Amino acid sequence: MIARVLLLLWIAGWIVAGFFWAPLVPVLGETTRVLYLHIPAAWITMLALGWSMVHSLLYLRRRKLEHDDHAAGAAEIGILFCIAATASGSLWAKAMWGSYWNWDPRETSIFFLLLIYAAYLAVRSAIDQDERRARLSAIYSAAAFVAAPFLMFVVPRIYFSLHPDPIINSRGKIDMDPRIRVVFFALLLGFTALFFWLLSLRVRVARLERRGLAAQGGAS
Amino acid sequence: MPTSRSSSGAAVWAVLRKECVSEWRTRYGLNSALLFAVTSLAAVSFAIGRLGDRADVLAGLLWIVLLFASLASLAHAFVREVEGKTLTMLRLVAPPTAIALGKLLFNLLFLVVIELVTVPLFLILMGAPPPRWAPFLTLLALGSIGLAVAATVIGAVISQTRGRGALFAGTAFPLLLPIVAAAVSGTRAQWTGAPMDSELRLLAAYAAALLAVSLVLYDHLWED
Repeated sequence: MIARVLLLLWIAGWIVAGFFWAPLVPVLGETTRVLYLHIPAAWITMLALGWSMVHSLLYLRRRKLEHDDHAAGAAEIGILFCIAATASGSLWAKAMWGSYWNWDPRETSIFFLLLIYAAYLAVRSAIDQDERRARLSAIYSAAAFVAAPFLMFVVPRIYFSLHPDPIINSRGKIDMDPRIRVVFFALLLGFTALFFWLLSLRVRVARLERRGLAAQGGAS
Repeated sequence: MPTSRSSSGAAVWAVLRKECVSEWRTRYGLNSALLFAVTSLAAVSFAIGRLGDRADVLAGLLWIVLLFASLASLAHAFVREVEGKTLTMLRLVAPPTAIALGKLLFNLLFLVVIELVTVPLFLILMGAPPPRWAPFLTLLALGSIGLAVAATVIGAVISQTRGRGALFAGTAFPLLLPIVAAAVSGTRAQWTGAPMDSELRLLAAYAAALLAVSLVLYDHLWED
């Protein structure tokens, strides 16, 4: 309980600090602040997908439904952060680049992650039986695990080699103002904690649901 | 164990032969896939007309047509077994990896037949400049292998779900995206004369990685 309240205060406090304490970057102006939400969201998108995929592989190895709960929960929460990262990035692109979407390498890779999340959840929703759903979605996840590095890192490099994005490149994180850096890392930490808290809730709900179903099946 | 390996090689071959025979009996899958490929090609050609001087657009359209054709047809190999209720029998006589490999080879063959019709027709209808044949055919071959490998593993998963065919296109697309991206950029490069080694390497590496992983995964495919 205490931890949750502290987390709420931590995130809220640093968001306020992002508005009133940290300075703005000259070229970016008011859009600087998107980085406090957008980059943590993108980071959690990748973290959740990795978490989901690793637990899928663990499920295939150990056959414990607990791993499937983690894989499913991480995907369900991850897709929300993925949508948040996509939307905030798109808004920022409109402000800085003049269009909501232009298949910049980063836009390509986040779109791809969104597709993987959606397809994974679609596979899950189409199978009724627990073990079978866990096994088949884990197989899908493992196959997507192979595709991910190719689309994240390799394809943008060869496919868009003529389209550098100078704004992101010139704004290397090393140049970040110390106060911006403090707020950014504090929020990164806060949102990561938020993700794991949500995930633990989701896993607990799944476990209780399964126990409830088992009890029902035993009673009837 | 050399005996089990040679027997699984024989099983792969037997599954492939069985697929070809049962496909040839009705030719339902092949006919609908060819019809679909030609229809999408005609729609593209009709909507856009001849584009001899636009290698970038041509490369994209060619792979969209091929992507659609494979999305429309490659789930068929597994879905047919489930719908015909023949999967149980098949599982009794062959190990899962052999079944999957046989179906993978069948899918590859299937794609080659589709391409034999679609690609020449595309080049003619769109008024494309003559491709550099060696790199063009290498690209087509590597792209087809990648499409077949990805489509086979997804088809195997999808055939056991409620949506089956309906779910296939959406779930296969993320895995096909790297192939299409590299193949399109490679095809464009062979028309404009730019180097295309990195695309070929990417296609080969992706197909190999996905094949290696899917060979491990096929052991988990059926358990109930």
